[in-house]
Amino acid sequence: MGIEVKNLTKKFDKKKVLDNISFSIDEGKTLCIIGFSGSGKSTVLKIISGLTDYDKGEIITNDCDIAMVFQYSALFDSLNVFENISFALTERPEFKGKYSEKELKDIVANSLKLVGLEGIEEKYPHELSGGMQKRVSFARAIVTKPGIILYDEPTAGLDPVSSTIIEDYIVRLKEETKATSIVVTHQLSTIRRTADKIIMLYDGKIVFEGDFETLMKKDTPYTKQFVEASVEGPMQIGTL
Amino acid sequence: MGMNFPAFLKYALTLQMRFSNFISQCARFAVDSLPITLTIVGMTVIIIVIQIAPEMVKQGGENYVGMLVTVVIVRELAAIMAGFAIISMVGSSMAAEVATMRVTEQIDAIKVLGVNPIKYLYVPRVVAGTVMMPLVVLIATLFGIICGGLTSWLMSDVSWLNYINSAWYGISVRDIKIFSLKSAIFGAAITYISCCCGYFASGGAKGVGQATTKAVVWSFVTIAIIDTIFAMIFFL
Repeated sequence: MGIEVKNLTKKFDKKKVLDNISFSIDEGKTLCIIGFSGSGKSTVLKIISGLTDYDKGEIITNDCDIAMVFQYSALFDSLNVFENISFALTERPEFKGKYSEKELKDIVANSLKLVGLEGIEEKYPHELSGGMQKRVSFARAIVTKPGIILYDEPTAGLDPVSSTIIEDYIVRLKEETKATSIVVTHQLSTIRRTADKIIMLYDGKIVFEGDFETLMKKDTPYTKQFVEASVEGPMQIGTL
Repeated sequence: MGMNFPAFLKYALTLQMRFSNFISQCARFAVDSLPITLTIVGMTVIIIVIQIAPEMVKQGGENYVGMLVTVVIVRELAAIMAGFAIISMVGSSMAAEVATMRVTEQIDAIKVLGVNPIKYLYVPRVVAGTVMMPLVVLIATLFGIICGGLTSWLMSDVSWLNYINSAWYGISVRDIKIFSLKSAIFGAAITYISCCCGYFASGGAKGVGQATTKAVVWSFVTIAIIDTIFAMIFFL
């Protein structure tokens, strides 16, 4: 089992953001969490990554490293690309002193090669386009060989071509790293190209669970509204 | 301030930080703050000397100008003025930097990458503040004494020799020890408060602005309180 989430509940003040949700994802597979803005998708990622506490429930993962790709990359803007990617290897107590300068250079170069960016080690984040920043953040995420990779809206703010490139790299990284992945998104193209399994959240609850084909059948009012991007339907954005 | 202070203290006292990170923080004090510190201390001393030196000369007290100026600089002026300069130049930029890291999820990224953000962000900054502040204050003190001498000489015809001889009487080992301790505490307080205000920022650009303002205001209030406590303990 890659990740198993049981009866997860999270409240912010008195508002239940996640209400007793359970799901699982097999090792090496990709789960897409979809839903409209404010439905609790990113909260799930923050809980799994350990950034946010939860009130009730259980999260079972293999004892592995968890990496996260943030919505706006979250690269350290005072560090160059090399320092960003090697950050965990130079700062984490268990890696400190483990790698020589040459080994670090090789690891960073290989990570950059995996995301199609070679020779940009000396550049700073502000010198890169949004798509390139996102790919550098992919490289930073995989450098510790994580067993789980979490993507928070990886194509947000990117043009369609850059989005396609990012989606390709999500698929490629899954194949190369064999990591279990969770992708939070609301873009159909990202879902179609990356998801082995999909869950849809609304008002803190799972309102759909299945694969892309089932989603596109629009069998439920929720899937119909989401796929057709309709204002009419059971999901009211203003209430979230 | 809502963070794990004992953990921070443990990391700081055992110097658990990357040395290069510490050096780059030290450079902020030396490069960013020294010119403004020297300007503020220098100008304040010049104003004080313009006000008091002619009066003292008139009363036949020209032999005491150096001593009086030195006592004022060593005991209060250099540390408090350097504190204000450091808050404006270094504290505010530290708070803005850490707050920007918070609102752009860089601090979350540090955590997810398995690095302790207190160790990475707080320790080098606060240790640099503690070490560098006494040095900045020492340089400001020497500069202030020189400015005082020059002004006395130019405005009131107090000779250099007279001024320097008198200034020696204004310096005591006890005062230097107190001034070093006070400056180190100022440095630690300013950097710690600035990091805390940045670390707990929220809400985008507005949050960064609020964190910076909060850091400046709380730092001013804190060094004023520390200064008062020092005066009450050592000079009452």
